Amino acid sequence: MIGTIATHQLVALRRQRVFAALLASFVLVSALAGLLGWSSNHTISRVYDEAAKLMVATGQPPPPNPFLLKPALSLLSNMVVYVPLIGALFAVVLGHLSVVEDEASGLGRLLFSRHITRTQYAMGKVTSAAVALVIALGASMGVSALSLLVVNHALAVSDVARLGLFYALSWLYLMSFVLIGIIAVLVTHRRSLALLSAMGAWLVLTFVVPQFTSGLRPTQSLNPIIEPIGTSQRFFQITAHGQPFSVVEQYKATAAVILNTAPAEATGQLALRLLPVAALAAILLLITLKLVQRHDFSRSASNE
Amino acid sequence: MSDQTVTTRVTGARRARVLAIAKHEYRAAVRSRILLILVVLLILVTAASVYIASAGYAAKLAEYETYRAAAQAQGLDRIAPTPLAALSLLRGPLEYLEIIGAVIAISLGYLSVSRERINRTLPLIRTRPVTAGEQATGTFLGAMGVFATLVATTIAVGIVSIGLLGRDWVNPGELFQIALTAVAALLYLGAFYCLGAIATAKSRFAANGLVIALGIWLLVVLVLPQIGDTMDADNQLPGGLFQALALDHDGELAVLQHFTGYERIRTGIEEASLSKHFERFAFAMSDVKDRYRPYNLPWLLNETRNDIAWLLAYAVAMFVGLRRSFRTQPTIPPGGTP
Amino acid sequence: MAAPAIQLHALSHRYDTDPVLRDIDLTIEHGEIFGFLGHNGAGKTTAINILTTLIAPTSGSAQVCGHDVVRQRGEVTACIGYLPAEVRMYGHLTAAENLAFFATLSGVPHPRRAAAETLAYLECADLANLRVSTFSSGMRQRIGIAQAIVHRPQVLFLDEPTTGLDPFGVRQLRETILQLNADLGMTVFMNTHLLGEVSKVCTTIGVLNHGELIYKDSIEETTRRFPDEASLEDIYVRMGSDSA
Repeated sequence: MIGTIATHQLVALRRQRVFAALLASFVLVSALAGLLGWSSNHTISRVYDEAAKLMVATGQPPPPNPFLLKPALSLLSNMVVYVPLIGALFAVVLGHLSVVEDEASGLGRLLFSRHITRTQYAMGKVTSAAVALVIALGASMGVSALSLLVVNHALAVSDVARLGLFYALSWLYLMSFVLIGIIAVLVTHRRSLALLSAMGAWLVLTFVVPQFTSGLRPTQSLNPIIEPIGTSQRFFQITAHGQPFSVVEQYKATAAVILNTAPAEATGQLALRLLPVAALAAILLLITLKLVQRHDFSRSASNE
Repeated sequence: MSDQTVTTRVTGARRARVLAIAKHEYRAAVRSRILLILVVLLILVTAASVYIASAGYAAKLAEYETYRAAAQAQGLDRIAPTPLAALSLLRGPLEYLEIIGAVIAISLGYLSVSRERINRTLPLIRTRPVTAGEQATGTFLGAMGVFATLVATTIAVGIVSIGLLGRDWVNPGELFQIALTAVAALLYLGAFYCLGAIATAKSRFAANGLVIALGIWLLVVLVLPQIGDTMDADNQLPGGLFQALALDHDGELAVLQHFTGYERIRTGIEEASLSKHFERFAFAMSDVKDRYRPYNLPWLLNETRNDIAWLLAYAVAMFVGLRRSFRTQPTIPPGGTP
Repeated sequence: MAAPAIQLHALSHRYDTDPVLRDIDLTIEHGEIFGFLGHNGAGKTTAINILTTLIAPTSGSAQVCGHDVVRQRGEVTACIGYLPAEVRMYGHLTAAENLAFFATLSGVPHPRRAAAETLAYLECADLANLRVSTFSSGMRQRIGIAQAIVHRPQVLFLDEPTTGLDPFGVRQLRETILQLNADLGMTVFMNTHLLGEVSKVCTTIGVLNHGELIYKDSIEETTRRFPDEASLEDIYVRMGSDSA
C-alpha cells in the first residue's frame, strides 16, 4: 500500500510544472557551482602568473602556486551554500506538493474510505518525496562529477566517495525540510499559510538560529566557510551552548570536512555533528506520523 | 458647468477610488494572520540582532572610555577619536529587512491578488467604474503604507535599542540619513511586492505564483550577491589570495589591472541584484562600512548615485509591470478555478 | 425617447473556436424583470459577462442604458449592479465595511450611510458589524445583493442568484427582487434554470439554446401561447425538443 501511494504521488509530482521548474533550477545551480569553481581556479592561476611575473621583475622569488593549496573538491564549495538555500526551498515545496492536493481537492476523504491506514498513507507520501529528492540530488551529483572531471581532468575514487557522502548528507538535511513542508500543510487551513509557515521555519533555521548561536549576521550565513567569531560577550557564552543544535551550521561544517575544504575531524566528532541533523529529521518524521493520525481529512481545505 | 469643473470632478473621483482601494489593501494586510506572523518574526529578530550588536558595542565603548580617561590622566594632548559608529548597529536590522522584509513584501503581493480570487470579488470591482490601472495604483499605495509602518517600526526598535543598550542616541543628522535609508527600503520592498503580485496574477494557481516569486527572490537576494562575492579574486582563498601571494596593495592593483574584463562581469552580476544596491546604499547611510564614515551626506549620495538610480529603476519597472499584469489578468478565472 | 435598458444587436461570442453566443438580438425595456433561461453551458453567464463589461464580445454590439459596453465602459458600470454566482465577499471585513468599500468605488457620496441604509432596506441591519467570514451562504447572498444595489443602479444583473439557498432563502430573494423593482424601478436581468421562480417573479423570459435565442416574450403571452402545457417546465422542455 505504501508503494502504491508513493508511486501515485511520484506520477503526480512529475506532472507538476512547478516541481519540474524547481528541479531544473537545482540542477542548474549545481552546474553554476561547478562553473564558479572553475572560474575560481582559473582566476587563481592567472593571478599567480601575473604576480609571479611582477615579483620576478622586482627581483623577488615567486611564492608557491596557491592553486596547489586548494583541494580537488573545493570546486564545489558553493554547493554547501546552495543546498541550504535553493535545495531547502525545493524540499519545502516538494513536501508541500506531496500532500496539498489531497487536502485541496478533498481526496483524503476518498482515500480513507478505502482499505488504507493513515500510517501507510503518511509513509507513502514521505517515501515518494524521499525518492524525488534522491532523483534531484542524483542529477545534481552527476553534474558536479562532470564539472570535476572537466576542470581537474581526473576524478579519484576517494573523491567520488566523498562526493557520494556529501550528497547523502544533503539528502538527510533536506528531508527535514520536506517534512516541514508536509507538517505545515497538516497544521494550517490555507495553502498559502502552509507555504509561508514552512518558509518562515526555513528562515528561522537558516538565518535566525545561527545569529543567536554564533553571532552570524544573515549575509554571513551565505558564506560557505563559517568564520569563527569572537564570543566574548556573555550573551554568546550562554547561547553558544545551542550551537550543536543549529542544524545549518552543523550541516555546513560536516560538508566542509567531507569535501576536504576544512581540516579533517575525528569520526566521533563528525558523528556528533551529524547527530542533530539526523535527530531533527527523525523528530519531524514522528511529528508527521502523529499529525496524520489526528488530521481531519473530512474537511476540504479548498482555499488557496 | 465648465470643462475645468468636470475635469476636477473626474480627477477627484479617481483619487477617491484609488484611496479607497489603498485603504482596503492596508486594512486587509493588517488583518492577515500570515503577515502578522512574519512581521512579528521580523521585529523579534531585529530587536535580537540590535541587542547582540549593542552588547558588543557597549563593551567597546567602555574600553574606549577607559583608554580616554587613562590618556587624559597622563596629560596626553592627542587622544584618538572613537572608532565606533552607533548607526552601524543597524546592520542586522537592515540585513533582515533585505531578506525577511522581501519575503513579507512578496507575501503581501501574493495575498493582494489571491484575496480577490478566493473571495471572487474581482468581477465585483471590475463592474464598478474602476480601471485596472487605478486598482494597481491603489493596491500598491496600500502596500507602501504597510511597508512604511513596518520599516518605521523596525528602525524605531533599532534606534531605541541603540540608545538603551549601546548608550548612544542618534543625532538629527544621523536621523535624516536613517530616513533616507527608510525611503530606499520602501522602494526595495515595493519592487518585491510587485514581483509577488505579478507572479500570482500571471499564474493559473495562485500558490504556484508564490513559489515562482520566492524562487526569484532566492536568486536576486541570496544567490546573485553570493556569486559576486565568490568571484572576488581576493576571496578565493581563506585569508585572501593576495596575502597568500605576499603582494602589497600596489602589487595587488598592478595585478588586478589584467582582470578588468573579469571584474566587469563580476560587477555586472552584482548590479543585477536589487538587494546589492539596497545594501550598498543602506550601509553607506548607516556607517556600516568603515570607508564611508569620514564623509558627509552629499559625498555619500554622490558615491551611491548608481545604487539610487538602480533602486528607482527597479521599483518603477516593477510598478509598470504590476499595472500591465492587472490589466491583462483574467477577471473570470480560467477554468472557473479561483 | 429614452434608450432601452438593454439592447443587443447580432451579438456573438466564441471561446477559441467554440461559438458560445450566436447572433443574438434582444431588447429589454426599463422596469422589466427579465428571466434568461437555458441549460448548463447555453451561454447565459457569457451574456452577463459581456453586459457587465467583464469580457468583450467577438462581434455585434451590446448597450446598457444606451451606452456601449465596450466603448463606454465607465458609463455602463456607473448604471449597473451585479451579483455573480456564488459570491463570497471579503471575509476579513464586516458586512458594513464590505458595502462601504464597494459604494466608494461606485462614487457614492456617503458610503457608510449608504451601506447602513441598504442593510436596513434588506432587513439585515443586524449583520452590519459582523465579519462576513462568519456568515452562512444565505447571509452571504444577502450581502451580495446589498453590494449590488448599494449605489442604486438602474439595471441589476443576477447570475444564478438562488444557488446554494434553501427554500426560505429562495422565497426571500424573490420578495427582494419584486421589492427592488417596485420601490426603485430597477430593471432586473436574471440568469436561472429554476423555472418555478421565473414564473413567480419575471415579467418577460428569454430562452437560450446552444448560444441561440430561441424564444422571447412576456410571461402572460407565453402561457397563452402554450395553453396545453401545465407548467413553464413543460413549455421549456417542448421548446428544447422543438429546436433540437
